Amino acid sequence: MTTPPVYFECRNITYHYPKTDRLIFKDLNCRLRPHGFHGLFGTSGVGKSTLAEIIAGEISAESGELTGKPSATILYSSNMERLPGWSSVGEHVAKVIPRRQTDRMEQLFSDFGLTACRNSRFSQLSLGQKNRINLIRYLLQEFDLLILDESLANVDEAMRERIIFNIKEMFPGKCFLYISHSLSEVSRFCDTILVLRSPDKTPPIIPINGLNIRQGESTDNSNLERIMLEIVHAA
Amino acid sequence: MLHRRISQFFFIYLLALGLLLLFKYIFNLSDYVIPGPLDIHHTATLFFSRYLRDGLNTLSVAVVGHVLAVILATLVAIIGSRGNLIGSLIKTAAYNLQAYPIVAVAPVIFILLGDGLVSRLLIAAMICYFPLLLSFIGILTEPVADIEHFYVITGRMRWQLEVKIRAFENIGKLSTVIAGSATLAMVGTIVAEFIGANAGIGYSLRIALYQSNIAKVLVALFLIGIFNSLYLTLLEGIGYLVLKKLKIQNGVMS
Amino acid sequence: MHLFFRLILLVTLCGCCLLPAGGCGGPEPEKEPVHLVYRLKWLYNISVIGDLYAEEKGFFARQGLQVDIKPGGPERDAIKELEIGRSQFGVASADQVIRAVAKGSPIVVLAQLFQANPLQWIYRQGKQPIQSPADLRHRIIGITYGGNDETIFRALMAKYQIRKDELTLFGVRYDYTPFYQRKVDLWPVYRNAEGIIISDKLKKGGEKVNFFNPDTFGIRFVANSVITTRQMIQNHPQTVRKFIHALIKGWQQALDPVNADSALTMMARFDKDTPAALLRQQLMTTRALMIPPAGKNFGWINAPAWKQSADIMLAQKLIPAPVRTDDILILEKIGGKI
Repeated sequence: MTTPPVYFECRNITYHYPKTDRLIFKDLNCRLRPHGFHGLFGTSGVGKSTLAEIIAGEISAESGELTGKPSATILYSSNMERLPGWSSVGEHVAKVIPRRQTDRMEQLFSDFGLTACRNSRFSQLSLGQKNRINLIRYLLQEFDLLILDESLANVDEAMRERIIFNIKEMFPGKCFLYISHSLSEVSRFCDTILVLRSPDKTPPIIPINGLNIRQGESTDNSNLERIMLEIVHAA
Repeated sequence: MLHRRISQFFFIYLLALGLLLLFKYIFNLSDYVIPGPLDIHHTATLFFSRYLRDGLNTLSVAVVGHVLAVILATLVAIIGSRGNLIGSLIKTAAYNLQAYPIVAVAPVIFILLGDGLVSRLLIAAMICYFPLLLSFIGILTEPVADIEHFYVITGRMRWQLEVKIRAFENIGKLSTVIAGSATLAMVGTIVAEFIGANAGIGYSLRIALYQSNIAKVLVALFLIGIFNSLYLTLLEGIGYLVLKKLKIQNGVMS
Repeated sequence: MHLFFRLILLVTLCGCCLLPAGGCGGPEPEKEPVHLVYRLKWLYNISVIGDLYAEEKGFFARQGLQVDIKPGGPERDAIKELEIGRSQFGVASADQVIRAVAKGSPIVVLAQLFQANPLQWIYRQGKQPIQSPADLRHRIIGITYGGNDETIFRALMAKYQIRKDELTLFGVRYDYTPFYQRKVDLWPVYRNAEGIIISDKLKKGGEKVNFFNPDTFGIRFVANSVITTRQMIQNHPQTVRKFIHALIKGWQQALDPVNADSALTMMARFDKDTPAALLRQQLMTTRALMIPPAGKNFGWINAPAWKQSADIMLAQKLIPAPVRTDDILILEKIGGKI
């Protein structure tokens, strides 16, 4: 007999923007399997980042609760982050990761196409390189759930695919919540896709199963179209 | 930079002097009220070297006082930027204390510490300390969220790192504030010397005023302007070099 | 038409030529000013009691003058205000006047208020009394560098051949702490003003004090005098005469023991910090320093003392060339004639 997995779960989350009457979520319920590459999709301004920050514990919901593995480490990363400018990105990443992750860091630098950038300062990098460097330092932390808020923005499609496959392969036991505006991307790569809806719709969030393809697997286009349509209708 | 600042000062000084002389000749005032060019030249010949030494004396006190104020303001701002009771007390005290005019506090300092170097240093430091402190506290309490987020969420944030991030990100502002407060340090030293010390260009100014010798005052003001320009240029130069180095490192400048 | 334009041009040119003459000093006599500003040398204290008394008792008003008596202070200079035209009369010490005249200032002295210089040195009575300047040797003497007490003291040192290394000069300001702390043996004070206050404080502490007066040892350096400009005398002689008449009357009456109560009541309104008993002592001392020698009127100008003042300043290179003080002392010349 196996122990049932402990889900990351949001129960009856309600939230208004601070000091306004604008409702973002009302009685939002959702849950994620504790491992896998999941997606969070929604139209602009619907509250994806806000929900992610509530899940990461960076902001508190007005009501409702978050449950999951006790003392789970949830990290939230976004494409808005910067690395300090006093050292090179390679030095910085080496300094902020556990020593035992050094080999993995070398591999990620290579896989993410950043080997040539490691001696550069953060401000010298392109937007895509900046996002990849930021992602590497988060991937090498201790975490149970890592939220990737537009973390692959400004990265070309081929590299994004390579990075996502890499993450799935390297961290099979971890949970990821990938926030993206790309409908086809979340449909193809994500396991469960949480479609966040505008506050006037009920329920506020709908889970849809994605294709969740892995390295070497081909995309079933008819299934992909179906999922994409499902997401569009849900949103 | 030095050339530009000195020439700007010369222009302003000569313009002011020209206006004074114009005033003198229009209203037919004696050399006692506004000295003539010959009187100014004669006074400058007689007192320039003495006032030069006095000016250097003042400048050295101002520099040391300024450095002390920067160090002290940094330390206090670090404590003040913590969100605890001591920090909040320091902030309130800094806001209140800076309202006291130094001319009111200076005599008490001279009574307690005498009219020597220590009093001058203390007053020079005090006059530029509070503006520095308030700026430093402002900078160190303002989070740099896009950099700090990672350290906070991964539990790596320490106060030293927080100070480092905020200071590094505001190095341009800090440099401007420090250079700007240099003038205050000079003013503070001169005021201290004027009020109660027994050395420096402020003391010479006071004697010149006792003697109603405006020519001496004009010579002293000229030297004060030159020394102030030199010190400001030095600080701006240091700030420029630091920023240039950082920008080169960050690839902003080639 | 052509002639018409020529005519207009001629009239315009004539107008332009005549305008400056009319606007800047034509022969028409100027009106006598009624509203006058009298800038004192120092803040309101006992040394200005006569000035205030003249105003209080309406002596100026009776001469048809409205006089605005403005206090002086460390950064005020009546001479400069007179030259610029902000004041018509003022009070200045002899060293100020001599310095100004040496630099071409058109200042003249109308009356000498203090017959003996109130600037003296206070000291504690100790085992070694100061009976002559020679007794100053090996003591610490307070002087205001750049002030007239420095001039007086250096003149004394020169006259009595006291070398710099035989005593210690200590630069003083307005804070008397070094004297109270006995860091300085002799401290310069105005004998009639703060001299009384410091004496009183020390007496209350059981200490006896005395004053060292350089005048006693032949250093005659004139103190406060009433001044105006030569232009004022030339252009408004009546006003000058009326002003000085009212002012001297004010001083004579303020210093008259008969009017002491009235004068002190008035003074207490202006000098709220000095207790009444001390004000009375100050008035007595002021009277002693101001009353002229027998046969002389109040305001008498001591010409030899002025000459000595100028000689001292010349000897100390405080003025570049001799100043003929007789030319600037005009009360005697205008006495009764104004």
